[in-house]
Amino acid sequence: MEEQLKHVGVAYERSDGVKKVTGAAEYVDDIRLGRMLYADVVRSPYAHARVLSVDLSEAKKVPGVKAVIDGTDYKKRVGLYLEDRFFMIKPGDTAKYMGDPVAAVAAETREIARKACELIKVEYEPLPVVSNALDGMKPDAPIIHPELGSYKVAPIFYPKPGTNISHHYVLRKGDCEKAFEEADAVFEHEFYIPHVQHVPLEPHVAMAKLDPDGKLTVWASCQSPYAVRQTLSVAFDMPLNKIRVISPTVGGGFGAKAGTTLEGIVIGLARHCPGRPVKLTYSREDEFVNSYVRQGMFARIKTAMRKDGRILGVKNEYYWDGGAYTEYGVNITKAGGWASAGPYDIDNVWTDSYCVYTNNPVGGPYRGFGMCEIHFAIEQNIDMIAKKMGISEVDIRRINGLRPGGYTGMGEKMDVAGYQECLETVVKDIDFFTPSEQPKEPHKVRAKGIAAGWKSPSMPTNAGSAAIIRMNEDGTFFLMSSGMEIGQGAATVLPQIAAEVLSVEPSKITFCSGDTDHTPYEWQTVASRTTYCAGNAVKLAAEDLRDKVLELAQIKMGAVKRDLKFEDGYVVHKIYPERRVPISEFALGVSFPDGSGYGGPAIGVGTFTLENNINTDKKTGVAKHHPAAFWTMGVNGAEVEVDTETGHIKVLKMVSCFDAGKVINPALFSAQSEGAMVQALGTALFEELKLRDGKVLNKNFVDYKIPTADDIPELVVKYVEHAEPTGPYGARGVGEPLMVPGAPAIANAVYNAIGVRFTRMPILPDDVLRALREKKAKEAAEQ
Amino acid sequence: MREFVYLRPGSIAEAISMRCEHEGCSVLFNGGTDIVIQLRDRLIKPDYVIDIKHIDGLKKITFSKEEGLFIGACATMNEIGNNEYVKTYYPFLADAALSVGSKQVRNRATCVGNIVNASPLCDTGTPLYAADASLCISGKDGDREVPIREFITFVRRTVLKPDEIVTGVKVPYVEGLRGIFTKVARRREVDLSTICGTVARVGDSYRLAFGAVAPTPVRMPKTEALLEGKTLTPELIEEAAKLARTEVSPIDDVRASKEYRLDVVEVIVRRSLTQLA
Amino acid sequence: MKYKVNFFLNEEPMELYVDANRTMLNVLRDELCYTGTKEGCGAGECGACTVIVDGLPINACLVLAPEMDGMHITTVEGLSKDGELSPLQKAFVEHAALQCGFCTPGFIMSGTALLMENPQPSREEIVRAISGNLCRCTGYARIIEAIEDVAAQNARQGGAE
Repeated sequence: MEEQLKHVGVAYERSDGVKKVTGAAEYVDDIRLGRMLYADVVRSPYAHARVLSVDLSEAKKVPGVKAVIDGTDYKKRVGLYLEDRFFMIKPGDTAKYMGDPVAAVAAETREIARKACELIKVEYEPLPVVSNALDGMKPDAPIIHPELGSYKVAPIFYPKPGTNISHHYVLRKGDCEKAFEEADAVFEHEFYIPHVQHVPLEPHVAMAKLDPDGKLTVWASCQSPYAVRQTLSVAFDMPLNKIRVISPTVGGGFGAKAGTTLEGIVIGLARHCPGRPVKLTYSREDEFVNSYVRQGMFARIKTAMRKDGRILGVKNEYYWDGGAYTEYGVNITKAGGWASAGPYDIDNVWTDSYCVYTNNPVGGPYRGFGMCEIHFAIEQNIDMIAKKMGISEVDIRRINGLRPGGYTGMGEKMDVAGYQECLETVVKDIDFFTPSEQPKEPHKVRAKGIAAGWKSPSMPTNAGSAAIIRMNEDGTFFLMSSGMEIGQGAATVLPQIAAEVLSVEPSKITFCSGDTDHTPYEWQTVASRTTYCAGNAVKLAAEDLRDKVLELAQIKMGAVKRDLKFEDGYVVHKIYPERRVPISEFALGVSFPDGSGYGGPAIGVGTFTLENNINTDKKTGVAKHHPAAFWTMGVNGAEVEVDTETGHIKVLKMVSCFDAGKVINPALFSAQSEGAMVQALGTALFEELKLRDGKVLNKNFVDYKIPTADDIPELVVKYVEHAEPTGPYGARGVGEPLMVPGAPAIANAVYNAIGVRFTRMPILPDDVLRALREKKAKEAAEQ
Repeated sequence: MREFVYLRPGSIAEAISMRCEHEGCSVLFNGGTDIVIQLRDRLIKPDYVIDIKHIDGLKKITFSKEEGLFIGACATMNEIGNNEYVKTYYPFLADAALSVGSKQVRNRATCVGNIVNASPLCDTGTPLYAADASLCISGKDGDREVPIREFITFVRRTVLKPDEIVTGVKVPYVEGLRGIFTKVARRREVDLSTICGTVARVGDSYRLAFGAVAPTPVRMPKTEALLEGKTLTPELIEEAAKLARTEVSPIDDVRASKEYRLDVVEVIVRRSLTQLA
Repeated sequence: MKYKVNFFLNEEPMELYVDANRTMLNVLRDELCYTGTKEGCGAGECGACTVIVDGLPINACLVLAPEMDGMHITTVEGLSKDGELSPLQKAFVEHAALQCGFCTPGFIMSGTALLMENPQPSREEIVRAISGNLCRCTGYARIIEAIEDVAAQNARQGGAE
């Protein structure tokens, strides 16, 4: 019989709440160390140029300047999956985007650092610019990385030396040619998703200090202290035990703070000023250009349909604008390819997904990791087909949507799939088949739309997590994990998982994180993997501690282990519950009447690597077993109102339903769902990093708008729980998938309102009026 | 920010003499919501920053039917927007003031600063153009008043001389004046205008002023002439709306296309006149 | 050149010598180590640096340091008294109205200023008062609810008097 869960599934308050509402939470820029220096950076004003010479001499003369460096300080290329970037461009090498670092200064004040940077003379030879992915694919395109063939690359990625293609992902499942021959109807649609930026409210910041004994300490607002440590170790040829990465409170990441960005610059400087911490804080303008951006993407989808609404086959082409470096982008290209069938059971899938170097800002992971982009295409494509075939957009999803026992686009068998239930929940909640009530003003039109989405982690199949839990003398605990609290709630949810195992209040468990010298290994806090991977490690650690305590309790309580359990802070005999001993009595082991002791301080260790998570077939991309740890799927509904005179779109209501497997904390789940819907709304209606020949035209909040409190619709959050077999208490990751269906749901609703299909985000008032003008002209011409 | 000297005059005379003494290398500083950013981004590099906020009397807002409305140079957008006189007699100006930036910005930004900046899309420009406001200016040679339509000459240019300071805005009182301010932006809250406009009516006389459609805010003389003395009918409103779009010359920029701006001008004229009919 | 400024910070008198080319935000964070006030853009667009000056919310990043002379400044550090959270701080925790927390002090200052000015604001007034504060995590709904919650508490207390 399953025991009732006490702490998992409970809406506990955030463990970091009080610190954050009082301003006491310490972010990296809040850390003040003695003799701190400030860094500033000289960056390429050209999107593509050879750096002919760098003259540091005048900068070095400025009083207060402590270090001035250029690219000659950096010997090795780095990168997470593809080692394609130097932290700083060497003289003689090429700057590959407008903002590539060429020199840096550390000085006593920010003003001195800035002034010294202005005195650094750099000569450039401008080179032709590749301004988008399609241009980058052309045979005569300038080659941005001529040495691509010599770069170190993870074995699952396939760069094409001599081109700008850093990865060509291939998926060939079934017989697509045959599907198209047998189809009753074939559709082809194209979509474009522009670059956007994550906009964490805290800009990137890092500080580094080199101690006289050679120990390097790095404080960074980052999602992945261990990945940063690894990259730095490669870049600076330092042993891992000499690098300590500390990531205290992180002010939002959304992927932008995964991998390694500005850390490399401060370390280069810190090496020249031993004993002095060097800090670099990005401005908002830097954040838009010099951290990561979400890659732009062009998609072409060809669909073979049977007349009953069944999808027989899809052929996808994705062209990702990876920007200047694709050390991370290659994996987004792969993730997009993996998921290219969408949450649909399609027998024949053919996908080519290309990661292309351009001279745009560096593409990197962004909440959804390719899924928001591909689903803007997939989910509108489905609606477009449904309209043309005279099927309802709900029915086409009922027909094709995954069910338990179905198969993914990669050919994995899905034992669990909550898609259909999520769909029905949203259809019901937004009352999809009842037309919107129309407002009084004749120029305003309302309608509803739906869209689905799914995502799996696209992480190395052997990515690991570890956790340690220590019991204190009074029965409280320290839980140590490097699953980072980046706002998503890890510091609340992971202790809840341990609390469940140990049957204690979560408030008795203090969460310690983000210090590579003291908290155990975690690959990265990305991929919506923390609740799942770190959660599994935490659960195992707590079970390990519990097991050890029960071993000791056998001695103390004169009972066998199988009859003992943890309950509300006690070890309790299952048959004679009056026989109970506080767990705290085992914190330091047990002691005997003769004064001797046994069993030592209580500590539990848990490590988790998903078993049998096997790479796909190299040639076809088809799954041999389970390449994905899990798939999280769900559906959004949106109701919009379009002002046909000003083109403004107001989203009135959004409904989200996902299959979370098990919701560990319902309040935090809802909060993340709401945030995800609004972030999706931003991309659908406001956000685009406007690029012209590699130059970002709107690198500030004046012209890059994200939603405010005024823009939010009524937000409804639902969930279903079909347990993930390998997840802790059945949980699977949700943080990113929650954002995926929002934008296409809005776009589908806009189509239903005004009969215009927008195949490009964002849908701006300007675009709406232009489209309505064109529609009117076309209708007039047809009459 | 570069280094500079911060000066805080206690009187208008003192401020003028500082302007004269530091001609060409000083900047007047009021709410600071634009100047601080320009300093930070080194778009301006003054040696002296003259903060006029502590000059007596510059914060006042006064009104009488005889004298009209006076808004002191240092009155903030929120003070203007929430002022009972402004709300009662010039509600379109109150709406414009409260449409600027965020609440935090409005607690610092001033209407006079907004006008002196002379941005084509200044939100408080069009209500003042429609209300025939004047700028009160003091300089070393004495005081003068300049109608707002003559004050702003081009993008970020005014007739203000290096020694001069705008001490306030005068808005005449016109019995029966009704007006509507409309701002169309990408986002409803905290955004720059894609288009802003004020359409006002006194009896059968009409005043139309628009921003973000030309190098300065503009009135629409042809449309005003078309409407003069006539009763508003749907046909006339339609004609006026169509004519209005020929009186402006907006540009394409990162915020919107020219075509969009023209469409929106037409919509604002139509909606405002319909409401005023 | 340094400028002498006298001001009250969270009701404590302060006397300081500041540079003209620094902002109030720089002074609070770098010189006084009041780091609860955050810098999200340095251009008055995100509201993370919102503080209350003489009863009104403003962006600390847009105030020059010498202007601080004579001001009464309240920062997020000044809201909880004797270790007790303010009603709005409590409501933020109870409603899970924060995630990464970086924008939170700014929202709490905007909300506090609004509730000082108007103890029972409408939803629309709340939205307008916080639309100068950007949040990327929460989707705002819970922030609005937290302020509404305190407004409702105020209404109940007002009714009891």
